[in-house]
Amino acid sequence: MRTTDGAADSRQPLISIKNVSLSYGNFKALTDVSVDFFQGELVGLVGDNGAGKTTLIRIISGINPPTSGEVYFDGEKITKFHPKKAMDLGLECIQQSIGICDNLSVGRNYFLGREPVKRVLGLPFLDKKKIREASAKVVHDFGLRDTVDVDDEIALLSGGEKQTFKIARAVTFRNRVIIMDEPTNHLSVRERAHVNELAVQLKQQGLLVIYITHDIFQIHRIADRIVIMENGRKVTDVPRDAMSADALEGIIRDGGRAPSKGPKVA
Amino acid sequence: MRRFVKRSDIGIIIGCIFVFLLFSIWNPQQWFNWGTISNVGQYTAILGLLAIGQTFVILVREIDLSVGSVYGVVGITFLGLESSNVSVLVSFIVAMLLALLIGLVNAVVVIHGKVPSMIVTLGGLFFYRGLIYVTTHGAVAGTPQPARENWLSQFFGGHWLGIENGFLLVLLLAFLSATALYQTRFGNHLFALGGDPASAESQGVPVNRIKASAFCLSSLFAGLSAIVTLANNPSTNVSLGTGMELQSIAAVVVGGTLLTGGRGTMLGTILGAFFLTAVRSEMIALGAPPSWYIAFVGIALLVIVTINTLLAKRLKAA
Repeated sequence: MRTTDGAADSRQPLISIKNVSLSYGNFKALTDVSVDFFQGELVGLVGDNGAGKTTLIRIISGINPPTSGEVYFDGEKITKFHPKKAMDLGLECIQQSIGICDNLSVGRNYFLGREPVKRVLGLPFLDKKKIREASAKVVHDFGLRDTVDVDDEIALLSGGEKQTFKIARAVTFRNRVIIMDEPTNHLSVRERAHVNELAVQLKQQGLLVIYITHDIFQIHRIADRIVIMENGRKVTDVPRDAMSADALEGIIRDGGRAPSKGPKVA
Repeated sequence: MRRFVKRSDIGIIIGCIFVFLLFSIWNPQQWFNWGTISNVGQYTAILGLLAIGQTFVILVREIDLSVGSVYGVVGITFLGLESSNVSVLVSFIVAMLLALLIGLVNAVVVIHGKVPSMIVTLGGLFFYRGLIYVTTHGAVAGTPQPARENWLSQFFGGHWLGIENGFLLVLLLAFLSATALYQTRFGNHLFALGGDPASAESQGVPVNRIKASAFCLSSLFAGLSAIVTLANNPSTNVSLGTGMELQSIAAVVVGGTLLTGGRGTMLGTILGAFFLTAVRSEMIALGAPPSWYIAFVGIALLVIVTINTLLAKRLKAA
């Protein structure tokens, strides 16, 4: 089995991407990308706009099938790409602008797509009591304001609270993989620190966290491994300690062609 | 209290109380007349059934312009079968299957053809109306006498304790629809899809199935509305249902449902249908020619939606 550059690991990867390409018509969004992700790891996925980070994540989370190449989850080849299937496998993607419906209450957002039901006269009705109690507990455990009423529309929460809510939801449904797509955009300094802290806590609980960002300095502080993408290709894949944040920034700045400083990577 | 004031149907609740009191004080003899109550009840039922179906579609950010023609083609099919000595029950089932089929066609073209629903259902509006002209050659027979007396015709078109059955039926179906919207997973998914389709899909909501259900419900309610109409009033013509699509949309929008989707109530829709019907009836009672009705719908639409928008802005600021 091919191991990833710099992260030779005898364990079986939780997610393994092998020679994946994706084209939209004539446009090649991803070209022959291979990368492994392991359980209990916080991986920073970095690159400029259009580097292919989001495209890669769309494949992993089942939104788009790859044009060619293979994806393995826990050693099993994925043949059907669908968001629901990815969710069932325990994968949740937390995206900047997607994931909660502003017109629904906090509780209804919490259980969206997994609503608990109770049978009345044999018919499945929403179990509103469970929705209210379970979501109230999570809101409390993840340190949201005590004044948040789970029956209120979620639109009343701040940006940071919404991110925290999404992370809380992803974690409490016993997910194994949390993908964070630019989770700290538009957040205040304090909210940003809180979200990053949560990312580290998730990793420590044994989850795989894939953290997408532009900010190499921020991710270098918390990630175990950094993967840099450029023009739809993977250009760097190193453990965090192998390179300084400055050196990594150089790679991104140079478009992945010639790392100006630091050790040369394949 | 805060949640009550923020209801999307607050405008129509106030509007209905207002017109009810106004007519009660201004013109009690004609307003509390049995004939008026019966007429208003019956037409609220017809428009209300169409509007319930339309509400499902508008809640998911789509629109169904075909319901007037679906109402026509399903009604005429129902009548045609009855006149050919097919039993009322079988005529009803076949007519409703036709409605379901039309809803499925709308859904498939919108979802898989990726054509905007406004275009797809506008095509339906013309096509099904044209189909009526072609198949009937412009002449439609009335319901034969035995069919009128059939139990099913009486169920849809008769009355109970002086109240039109159609009116009782629309109340029952509005209640069931509201229950489906607020108490079931289907309803939660429908609101989620209308509020934010990408987010709903990311959480595993089966968006295509929900959207298809909305179009099918819209067609089925349009068909049922036609059958209630014809069971009560057995003579008709090829223009059956013309313009009803716009009236149904008006009832939904006056009822506080946003055309941008994700927000609305079945109570608002039924009150919207009642409001438009009550004012029409009263205008006629006061001597205005019936043709004024359509002008009034336009004014009511503008006034109520403007009030709703201003209220929403003020509440947002507060």
